Amino acid sequence: MSGAAPALAVRRLRKAFGAVVAVDDVSLDAAPGEFLSLLGPSGCGKSTLLRMVAGLVEPDGGEIVLAGEDITRVAVHRRNLGLVFQSYALFPHMTVFENVAFGLRRRSVPPAELGPRVERMLELVRLGPLGTRHPRELSGGQQQRVALARALVTEPRVLLLDEPLSNLDALLREEMRVELKRLQERLGTTMIFVTHDQAEALILSDRVVVMEHGRVEQVGRPEEVYRRPATAFVARFLGRANFLAGTVAESRGTGTVVAVDGGRLSVVAGPRPGLTAGQPVHAVIRQEAIRLAAPGAAAGRPNHFTATVVFHAFAGQAHHYVVQLADGRELEIAAPGSTVPLARGAHTRIEWSPEDVILLPGGGPGQGASR
Amino acid sequence: MRAGHGWWLLAPALLLLLAAFVLPVGLMVPTSVRPYVPLVGITGGFTARHYVRLLTDSYYLEIIGRTLALGLTVTCSTLGVGYPVAFFLARTRSRWRNWLTILVVFPLMLNLVVRTFGWIALLAQNGLVNQALQALGLVDGPVKLLFNFAGLLIGLTHIFLPFMVLVLIGAIQNIPRDVEDAARVLGASWGSAFLRVTLPLSAPGILSGSILVFVLSISALVTPRLLGGPTYQVMSTLIYDEFLQRLNWPAGSAQSLLLTVMVLLLIYLSGRLARRTGAHA
Repeated sequence: MSGAAPALAVRRLRKAFGAVVAVDDVSLDAAPGEFLSLLGPSGCGKSTLLRMVAGLVEPDGGEIVLAGEDITRVAVHRRNLGLVFQSYALFPHMTVFENVAFGLRRRSVPPAELGPRVERMLELVRLGPLGTRHPRELSGGQQQRVALARALVTEPRVLLLDEPLSNLDALLREEMRVELKRLQERLGTTMIFVTHDQAEALILSDRVVVMEHGRVEQVGRPEEVYRRPATAFVARFLGRANFLAGTVAESRGTGTVVAVDGGRLSVVAGPRPGLTAGQPVHAVIRQEAIRLAAPGAAAGRPNHFTATVVFHAFAGQAHHYVVQLADGRELEIAAPGSTVPLARGAHTRIEWSPEDVILLPGGGPGQGASR
Repeated sequence: MRAGHGWWLLAPALLLLLAAFVLPVGLMVPTSVRPYVPLVGITGGFTARHYVRLLTDSYYLEIIGRTLALGLTVTCSTLGVGYPVAFFLARTRSRWRNWLTILVVFPLMLNLVVRTFGWIALLAQNGLVNQALQALGLVDGPVKLLFNFAGLLIGLTHIFLPFMVLVLIGAIQNIPRDVEDAARVLGASWGSAFLRVTLPLSAPGILSGSILVFVLSISALVTPRLLGGPTYQVMSTLIYDEFLQRLNWPAGSAQSLLLTVMVLLLIYLSGRLARRTGAHA
């Protein structure tokens, strides 16, 4: 993100609550117009980070720079930011119109201008005729849109969103994702989006910041963090994967071979400079990267094994399998939902491409398949 | 479970209400229209003169007005003193919070007569308050703080403050912090966010706390009697004297019924007000 000055920059921000360090020395940039997600499990510090940017939590150290201006010590109400809460936090005693007008009235926008601006914003979030209603008379999705309109109408320099879709049911959530993304593309507002939902982060974001224990684990485009996770935590958090612990047997310009279980299982991966033979490593294979091959297909190819189906479930878009290899090891597989399913107990062959293997140096945790 | 079954749960409370409130009040209705002849007692017949006197005689009108004014000022002063306390207690994360709450409720645990005598000791001509005021040079002579409006106001405010604070704590705790934070982020200063969001959202609590304190104040007997003395009357002490000193039960009944009607009317009106403005809560 070189070139234009960042719309928002966070420099070495720290916050501790008692002995618990919520945000530990975090630095981030958001480019103008960027959709940046802070992704992590609950308690990873992402909400605290967002609330420090908003001014609702005072940082212990570090600085927050908004379009070149240091706002670390600027009072909440002078920051000109938008914030959408998970609970929506609408004013229950005001109509939808007054909720949206609240920020404009605090900025002493003249009445002649205020009405049209509120109406236009309500139109934009498809709430045109509902201005006279009270929040309690609206559905969850409509309340969410009021919250968005209220935050956007003041044309904030950056819009902060704190798990705004988490209180919606699944179908509505997917609908609102699309709506939010289109709104952002149309208005060009820089958005910082906090979520614990990896699918949401991947779909919406220009870049994803994966956080854990108050620290940034990885920052990257959605494909980067998904396909090339920097740490085991990122690999786990962004979708189900099979973790195979082993040691590097060969590392060459053409590829890497990992010996799993003392060499009883040999996993071939793409070239990965910097690995030396004998080094402990995890080979991570996403469950959808594993293909089920017809029995009798050509053996001898890399990462080609015989297996037995021990579990099968159909989930619409995918068939979920657990298969057992000859050595008793179990792997999780997600096959496209359109394929003909294999029954439990069926013998099959599985394979995956060397370029789909993620290599994470180091031993430590990571046995088996997990999130 | 059929919807109707739940009503049985109300039965004990309804029976108690019937026996302790509806029946005695109902019995006062016929009594209040009987003539009363001094030295003879209640006689047969019908008269409206107890009501007429109550609503025309300046002596009674002054007492009625004083009672209402006292209720109103006690309500305002408990609200003024209690709201900041309740706000603090509802919002603080201090570990002293529980102790402070106990401190607020503590006066309720002391006997009413004891508390009132405490105030007499403090407010008397040569009491602590007057000594302090004179020592500080704020006043020349002793200020009259007993047997007048000021004394009753101080005493009743002290006694009813815990009720106001407890009701307000509940109301303020019910306001989500996010809603206030939202107002702040949208550009409202702390004061503006308080006036436009927190205060309106605590209105249901303010209303119910005020009703409670007002009703308790205008019907309080022991404190006005002790702090007001035998001559500074409010409606409750008047009724007491009418029944037990002058033995004029018909006049006392008329006064009691008027007080009851005033209270019921107030509760009815506040209920309508709450429905109209506080439906969001």
